[in-house]
Amino acid sequence: MIPEPKEKIWLLPESAAMNAIVDDIGQDFTIEIEPQPAVTITWFDTFDWRLYRRRKVLLRQNKDSWYLLRRPSGEEIVSLQGNGLVGCSFSSDFPPGRLRTVLEPILGVRRLLPLVTLDSSGVLIRFLNQDEKVVAFLFFHEQRMRKADVVFRTVKLRGIRGYDKDFKAVSKSIRRHGIVDSVSPFYALEEGVRLTGRCPLDYSSEFSITLKPEMSARQATLAIFRRLLEAMQRNTPGIIDDLDSEFLHDFRVALRRTRSGLALIKRVLPPEITETFKKEFAELGRVTGAARDLDVYLLYEKDYKSRLPASLRGGVEAFFADIRSRREIAQKELVRSLRSPEYREMISRWHDYLDSDDGGEASENSELPIKDLAGKIILRSYRRILNDGRAIKPSSSDKKMHRLRIHCKKLRYSLEFFASLFPPADIRTVINQLKKLQNNLGAFNDLSVQQEMLHQYLARLRPGSGRNQQLASAIGGLLTSLHHEQQQVREAFFSKFRRFARSENTGLYKKLFG
Amino acid sequence: MSVIAVYNIKGGVGKTATAVNLSYLSAGGGDKTLLCDLDPQGSSTFYFRVRPAKKFNVSKLLKGGKAVDGNIRGTDYPGLDLLPADFSFRNMDIALDDLKKSRHRIGKVLKPLRQEYDHIFLDCPPNITLLSENIFHAADHILVPLIPTTLSHLALRQLFRFLDEIGQKRSKVLIFFSMVEKRKKMHWEMMRLLIKKPGVLPKVIPFLADIEKMGLYRQPVTAAFPRSLAATAYGELWTEIEKHLDRG
Repeated sequence: MIPEPKEKIWLLPESAAMNAIVDDIGQDFTIEIEPQPAVTITWFDTFDWRLYRRRKVLLRQNKDSWYLLRRPSGEEIVSLQGNGLVGCSFSSDFPPGRLRTVLEPILGVRRLLPLVTLDSSGVLIRFLNQDEKVVAFLFFHEQRMRKADVVFRTVKLRGIRGYDKDFKAVSKSIRRHGIVDSVSPFYALEEGVRLTGRCPLDYSSEFSITLKPEMSARQATLAIFRRLLEAMQRNTPGIIDDLDSEFLHDFRVALRRTRSGLALIKRVLPPEITETFKKEFAELGRVTGAARDLDVYLLYEKDYKSRLPASLRGGVEAFFADIRSRREIAQKELVRSLRSPEYREMISRWHDYLDSDDGGEASENSELPIKDLAGKIILRSYRRILNDGRAIKPSSSDKKMHRLRIHCKKLRYSLEFFASLFPPADIRTVINQLKKLQNNLGAFNDLSVQQEMLHQYLARLRPGSGRNQQLASAIGGLLTSLHHEQQQVREAFFSKFRRFARSENTGLYKKLFG
Repeated sequence: MSVIAVYNIKGGVGKTATAVNLSYLSAGGGDKTLLCDLDPQGSSTFYFRVRPAKKFNVSKLLKGGKAVDGNIRGTDYPGLDLLPADFSFRNMDIALDDLKKSRHRIGKVLKPLRQEYDHIFLDCPPNITLLSENIFHAADHILVPLIPTTLSHLALRQLFRFLDEIGQKRSKVLIFFSMVEKRKKMHWEMMRLLIKKPGVLPKVIPFLADIEKMGLYRQPVTAAFPRSLAATAYGELWTEIEKHLDRG
């Protein structure tokens, strides 16, 4: 391996003066000083830090340049310059090329959000040896954060391959000037983001919570619900601003988890609380459902176009134009409900309840150690799936498959609620087994939902116009293709279920949760 | 990844200027680039103001591995490294002759470097020897700067015959006209004769004072005068060559 060029960055203390440092080092080298043009740098990532998580940092410099850098080295992965790049928000907004190819699979449907903007200016110093060859670079940077009265001052030393001695010499002089705090290349960005109230990796769509086995069932349940409420609240502004479809999706997942929690964790919270909020959250599920359904349909656009011959694609476009306008309306309604006093009042009641110290009146299971109760809940869900799944025959109705899918989801949620109470490796095994079954059932459901949507749409179409005729033929073509695929998914179900229900897996559940 | 040998049997045809400028352009385009100065005169090394370590010599070069790694130097330009030449390289043939598999030695030395660089340029000494044979085995492309004269044409024929002899494909060879002087009728006639031949690139490098003066300012002309005629000509040549690299 060729060593990367050596680089070191230090915080520049208030007291350190660039001229004094340069004069001092300059005794051993020829020096060239070059002021760097002032630039504005904005850091972008998705709400859930998809790039940062993969050790990447995406920066926009001024209005026309993008740089994707590796973290923590700061090394460039790919860059892009050109006009019209200022407003890129989704990966599909970038022109085809290397940057887009790298971003697409990572960002998915998520939008890039500006995290922090710095106005940066600086001076570059080159150190030359007696052959007038550059042997080291020193950059003095001053980065001023927008909308905050903060300036980050750093100094970066970059060595050149084969000139290690010079690197060491310069580095030593710098230390002599009291510059000793070494920081990462992303120091100013990360500190800047903290000043905005966020910090790297502060949100993930995965649910995770650490419970202690000796916690009472009530303490643990309240902790779980608090975490879920937080997820809902954090996603709300993104839904209202309509940033991307994942905000609503994550919101609804947290909501579904809450509803499952209320149903699965029995006799822990006071019955009137459970009953009230089961109803409230069911209503919230209904209110948010319409917009989500339309979001999901829009995600099918690319797939539908690829399923149909070119002659029918015009019909598909008309169809999606219609969905888009319906979505606009649903989105407005959704924003209205999320801003309504009723909604706010309901959420703050839930919040107040979760934050109350005693959690209200004790119920039958409130004081049980959570680990005992968790095992029971998981086993009950598992047995239910075994029974329902075994009852499914090739001739069974679609409804039975859907019911089984819901039960699998409930099992998945309870495994995730209580994962921290059991050995991590076993939980991983159990979840992976379940995932395989869920993927099959999920695909089946997805295909049913699509066919149902298309049928409904078809029923509403008035015959007559040429446009509608085109639409109807496109939808007919899609229905055939989707139905065929669904048959295949259904056939695959039986072997997936057999694997899930085999005795080793049942044994593992008994061992862990019995 | 490609290894590009800049080669001609004749000296003084603009080989070093080509290697220095094209490797600079390659690095400037974002590709990690290494220039190996195999010519004992060390002109490329001189242009980049690099001084090889006192202990570096031909046997270190042929040993490869760490001995070579430790002697690669960063140039003043990001993404461009240089393996400097040493005067002992004049004895390369004798040193090669003493080794086993003497025809594949350079290829073996370059093998680990292929992983690290997007392009490796070889600035080759002018002659046809065991070293040339090594270079032809190791290189993916042989880039030949050709002054359009009768003698150059002859040299080209000798090169092709040699490639046939050692079983290397003629298609490795890319030719461009170098040090072209507009006012010389013979240059025009030779170019007309050769331009249709396979492997001859449609871009030429004219005879320009800025290129000749590179020894004074000791930088690639493409770095020192990026808007000059010379820099434009090298830029167009590199774009043309890159098309061939993609195919290779």
